[in-house]
Amino acid sequence: MNAMRIDRRSFLVSTAVVSGGMALGITSAEGAPTVPWGPDMASGAEFSAWIEIAPDDTVTVRVPTPECGNGAMSQAAMNVAEELQCDWSKVQVAFASIRRDFDEKGSYQTGFLSFFSGHSTGKQRLKTTLQLGASARERLKAAAAARWQVPASEITAANSVLSHASGKKLRYGQVAAEAAKIVLPKEPALKPQGEWTLLGKKSPPKLNIPEIASGKAVYGLDVKLPGMVHAALMQCPVHGGKLKSHDASAVMKMPGVRAVVVIDPAKTPGSPVKAQSTFGFGDSLCQWGIAVIADHYWQAKKALAALPVEWDMGGGAKWQDAEAIYSAAKALRDKGPGRDLKKTGDIATATGKRIVDGDYGTPYAENAALEPLNTTALVTADSAEVWTNTQDMAQAFWVAVDETGLAPGKVNMHQTFMGGAFGRRGQGDDLRMAVAVAKAYPGKPVKVIWSREECFRQGRYRTPVFTKMHAVLDDTTGLPQAMTADIGYVGSRPGFHLPLGFSDQPYFNSGVIPNLHLTSSALPVNVLSGAFRAPCFNSHAFVLETFVDECAVAAGIDSLEYRLKLLASWDKSWSDCLKLAAEKSGWGQKLPKGEGIGIAISCWPVANVRKNGTVVAAAVRVAITPEGVLMVKQIDTAFDCGRVANPDAVRAQIEGATLFGLNVALNEELTVKDGAIVEGNFDEYPISHMADVPPINVHFGALSGHERLEIIGEAPVGPVQPALGNAIYSAIGKRLRRTPIRKADLSWS
Amino acid sequence: MSKITLRVNGKAQSVDADGDTPLLWVLRDHLGMTGTKYGCGVAQCGACTVHLNGEAVRSCQVPLDGLAGANITTIEGLAAKGGAKLQALWHELNVPQCGYCQAGMLMAAADLLKKKPKPSDADIDEAMTNICRCGTYPRVKAAIKRAAGVAA
Repeated sequence: MNAMRIDRRSFLVSTAVVSGGMALGITSAEGAPTVPWGPDMASGAEFSAWIEIAPDDTVTVRVPTPECGNGAMSQAAMNVAEELQCDWSKVQVAFASIRRDFDEKGSYQTGFLSFFSGHSTGKQRLKTTLQLGASARERLKAAAAARWQVPASEITAANSVLSHASGKKLRYGQVAAEAAKIVLPKEPALKPQGEWTLLGKKSPPKLNIPEIASGKAVYGLDVKLPGMVHAALMQCPVHGGKLKSHDASAVMKMPGVRAVVVIDPAKTPGSPVKAQSTFGFGDSLCQWGIAVIADHYWQAKKALAALPVEWDMGGGAKWQDAEAIYSAAKALRDKGPGRDLKKTGDIATATGKRIVDGDYGTPYAENAALEPLNTTALVTADSAEVWTNTQDMAQAFWVAVDETGLAPGKVNMHQTFMGGAFGRRGQGDDLRMAVAVAKAYPGKPVKVIWSREECFRQGRYRTPVFTKMHAVLDDTTGLPQAMTADIGYVGSRPGFHLPLGFSDQPYFNSGVIPNLHLTSSALPVNVLSGAFRAPCFNSHAFVLETFVDECAVAAGIDSLEYRLKLLASWDKSWSDCLKLAAEKSGWGQKLPKGEGIGIAISCWPVANVRKNGTVVAAAVRVAITPEGVLMVKQIDTAFDCGRVANPDAVRAQIEGATLFGLNVALNEELTVKDGAIVEGNFDEYPISHMADVPPINVHFGALSGHERLEIIGEAPVGPVQPALGNAIYSAIGKRLRRTPIRKADLSWS
Repeated sequence: MSKITLRVNGKAQSVDADGDTPLLWVLRDHLGMTGTKYGCGVAQCGACTVHLNGEAVRSCQVPLDGLAGANITTIEGLAAKGGAKLQALWHELNVPQCGYCQAGMLMAAADLLKKKPKPSDADIDEAMTNICRCGTYPRVKAAIKRAAGVAA
């Protein structure tokens, strides 16, 4: 869609006025809200799409990008406030309504697509939100100008006050109602980035923290509705299996139990109209399952545990263990070149005598967001109302339509707070199962909770990746003359076989390696895979940056110097990041035996064009006892995302994403028994605690100042993993080609 | 079913529920106090941490039938029990990301500071065993130190 056209439409249509407030956006076809609760409704009579300014100057910004912990909503509000020039202490955020977006045929989606993960500084979103603020500011000025009978150009707007040289002053809230009726002849121009006073200059904490810190924030699990009942859910332990039999009568007399319902995937009616879901429905399909509905969750959970159930595990049960799956993926890979990812030059022409080979693997891992999956749904014969913590409401809405078979206009959705996601709440299988349960118990709001064990065993896991690398080094320079890579992906869904962090990286795009052949194959299995913070990148970065380290060792060149040589012709910021992280880590110092520093660099989301994505270099320092006890002593990261909009928010994301990646490399692995996932809780799937966390130093000195404000939440998950492995090699000479590292023997003498 | 009277945040509450119902679900489902979170149900994550008779406990492991006359403080009552400063620092230092674990973190931190007003790093590491998947540990630690007035 042409963004300019949509911008005009959004900005130029005058709006109704609510309670003396100013509403900017387009008029809603909807009347008053139909439910008494919901964070996507700022008041009992909402009309505006984007911004509302109340008589007391409160500015409400409605944001379609949900908050998953990365500050996406606060960032959108910050963008608006930059141009609105309002008092930041009077700004609040609310969730945008997807139903309203549907009714108004795209108030939010276009130009501000409700794609998950908070790209609030993405080029188009930034422009859109800045323009919304600028437009509101100029309409406020025009309203004051009309009152005072002076030209609008003589009015200044700052800190929620309009001022004129004559000494006249008005607060924004005092003229908001009049301003809302004003149609500007043309949209105001945006400030140049250099004149920003809020973005990049200040670091306000996330707006929702007081609610979080007081326990008032309403997460999906916290939804309360009159007459609400609770459901505990169990799906077939082997993905793709079926329910064979059950005996509901065994639990119906247990306290509070109201019903036992069976979920049969064949009973999904499908959307009655062409769906406009973000990702399609292939990764959200119903699984066979059974649920107990009771007055309270504890009653439902106990009854489910007592319910006699027999499953037909299906074809997936043939996988005796995870290693059987991984061996099959490797065997498929070994059958010869699969899909070509990249082919340059002729690898047969390489003549160097030094050959480097490595075979790497990363296993299944679970997103393990701390809020278990859940959704509350109220389904009747001709309506549905859903409260959910989705990463992508456009996906969630259409999944609900698809699972109820109702017309989109009959389905209402409400976004809640979200207790983490990391990719798990994007596709909507969680809410589809909940809607399926609620559909079987119509007329009552049903809160469907996946237990922690159900979350672990019914995940949409990180794609396991097994990659064989081969390089021929130039006899003179030591750099690769030729490199081949054969990637074996595990999983049936091509959408989760992304080459990001691999074939897009500059080593394969700058021309520095003249002969390349990168291929991939995929093994279909029953175990379901999905998005996991920086999908596939989090595995590929480990492989590629460990292999580069091995090439450096084979070439006899310091691994920092080696990377600088390989990246010499690419954006300077890559070298700047490497040098800064290395310098701060103490690179080059003589270290005691058993200590080492490793370094790595990678870029997300797309690195094959220059000045794109977020580049992160990580330097990890470790100490290992002769008995093999590993201690991560310090992590230094340097990054380039162009510019930053909120420095402290960026720092927080880098800290958190670095720890996430560190845990993935150190600890995370799911295993399989007869086709089913074994691990069920955190006692079997360790997550770092406070005591495990090293100092993480985030260095801003490699920022290029390029005009992009790239996303920051994914990129740091990658490089910390190979940097850790490279540090271990440096410390004790053991090369780790498979995660998790906690399973490796690190003893030395 | 058990009928139990306990005090939650200073207020007497009578609960009529199955005796084995964990305090976590008593608070959430029976008393409608949803600030205390369910994360694992097996005392691993600490998201359900509350104070029981002045001690931090994982409420998913405390059944209702032992709670007659007990004094419970939850995140909703923390400010009134001297936790307002911690909560303000959580805001000021931009501690939470998704925030789901933070009620438990705050309850554990308040318990630590009551027992050790000037905790060392080792004290903090030992006491704060809650899981945060977002990785807010450095900021949780910084906020505790700031509250205690010890050097960062």
